[in-house]
Amino acid sequence: MKNLIQSIGRPFSSFILMLGETSMLLGKIILSIPYILKRPQLIIKELFFSGVLSIVIIAVSGWFVGMVLGLQGYNTLQRFGSVSVLGSLVALSLIRELGPVLSAILFASRAGSGITAEIGLMKATEQLDAMNVMSVDPIKRIIAPKFIGGVISVPILTMLFNTCGILGGKFVGVNLLGLDSGIFWSQMQDSVNFHADIVNSIIKALIFGIFVSLISVYQGLSSKPTAEGVSSSTTKTVVHSALAVLALDFILTAFMF
Amino acid sequence: MSENIIELKNVSFAYNENKQILTDISMKIPYGKIVAIMGGSGCGKTTVLKLISGQIKANSGKITAFGTDITRANNKTLEQIRTKLGMLFQFGALFTDLSVYDNIAFPLNEHTKLNKTLKDIIVAMKLESVGLSGTQELFPSELSGGMARRIALARAMALDPELMMYDEPFTGLDPISLNTIAMLIKKLNDNLKQTTILVTHDIPITMKIADYIYFMSNGKVIAEGTPKEISVTENKSVQQFINGEVNGPFAYKYNSNKSYDYYLGRESI
Repeated sequence: MKNLIQSIGRPFSSFILMLGETSMLLGKIILSIPYILKRPQLIIKELFFSGVLSIVIIAVSGWFVGMVLGLQGYNTLQRFGSVSVLGSLVALSLIRELGPVLSAILFASRAGSGITAEIGLMKATEQLDAMNVMSVDPIKRIIAPKFIGGVISVPILTMLFNTCGILGGKFVGVNLLGLDSGIFWSQMQDSVNFHADIVNSIIKALIFGIFVSLISVYQGLSSKPTAEGVSSSTTKTVVHSALAVLALDFILTAFMF
Repeated sequence: MSENIIELKNVSFAYNENKQILTDISMKIPYGKIVAIMGGSGCGKTTVLKLISGQIKANSGKITAFGTDITRANNKTLEQIRTKLGMLFQFGALFTDLSVYDNIAFPLNEHTKLNKTLKDIIVAMKLESVGLSGTQELFPSELSGGMARRIALARAMALDPELMMYDEPFTGLDPISLNTIAMLIKKLNDNLKQTTILVTHDIPITMKIADYIYFMSNGKVIAEGTPKEISVTENKSVQQFINGEVNGPFAYKYNSNKSYDYYLGRESI
């Protein structure tokens, strides 16, 4: 009986412990901001790794998602004689939902997993200990720049995803299926509101960026210093990030739209 | 002022209640000496270094470093103490994303406001002192194990620390690299008037360069003395270790436990 209660309680206590540790880590990162501001080159390096190197996967994925939306939308709307609103459908689907969600998940898969693996390996090879002994706080020098780089990158990548997606949808709807270009763009312009849609999309992406980056650095720091430990943490980063993004998306959508 | 740079008094440490690592150990590290800490794998040698550098805190006892009780020190005091010590990790722990130059310049960038010219001179001097001039543009992945450890030594020496700690610096090295590192440790200690703590299980080298040896087993100090005293001690564990004998007080087999007995059907859980 005691074992049963323990086995039920253990995951809950682990989850609470993880939440506490993550919150403390976030607090330490925020306290590191003055240090980071004096060394912008640390963030620029992380922006390159997390943001610039993710451009291709984000742009190509956005393009294909937009093409699929254009194709599916055109076929469905044609049945109701409403092909003219294809531009609105593609743009709103991307800006409100698919752009922020898929960008964050793609970011977690490409950059987030990389961040976790790098920190995990630094821990396993005693690089973080070496930094500590040199009286350099790894949170300030390594963790905070990676976190901030991620938080800045995700909204920008989301805007890129949205842009490529809209161009992909336009390519299928207008160039391949023959919808009038003027109708496509004017319908989109009419239905997309800057504050309600685009600003909210950026806010969503920013919040996803905070969560995904925090999960990535936390998993790296808490990984066991073995090959298996680093591998497990990398997997956890992608899984936890995807779940967090999808759950948060529901909550944010309920409040925003 | 105390004649010891480091003093451990009745220090105990455990990661958790089931895993006692150190039990009531006391050590004195005098200024300017090379003090070796020896013992079998898992006896707690590296834990002693972690306690001295403040990476972990003792559960009980007192550790004095540079005249300050570090068991009660706050983070700022610990940071100040750490700038006076250098540590060479077992496999170097070089930053893999930085070149040799940037690795050695790392502590200088973090703790000084020296201009580039001065940093260049210091890095060149440190590389010269470990016999690796001209490697500044290489990355850690391009270095052999022995070279990586010498670069790590150069990095640890960048701020001319008063105390150098070496965590098994001879592990996995060929005889030439091993003697090179040993010679460097001795030379740096003597020329720079440093104090050295050397954690190792390499007996011949330690006997040659150490001034004093602490011998540990199961988290306790079981023998101590000069190399001469240690080599003639009658302590059976020390003799077994020095002579590399399979049979003796050092257990070769892991102790049987409850789950193993259950596995064999001797006991039910």
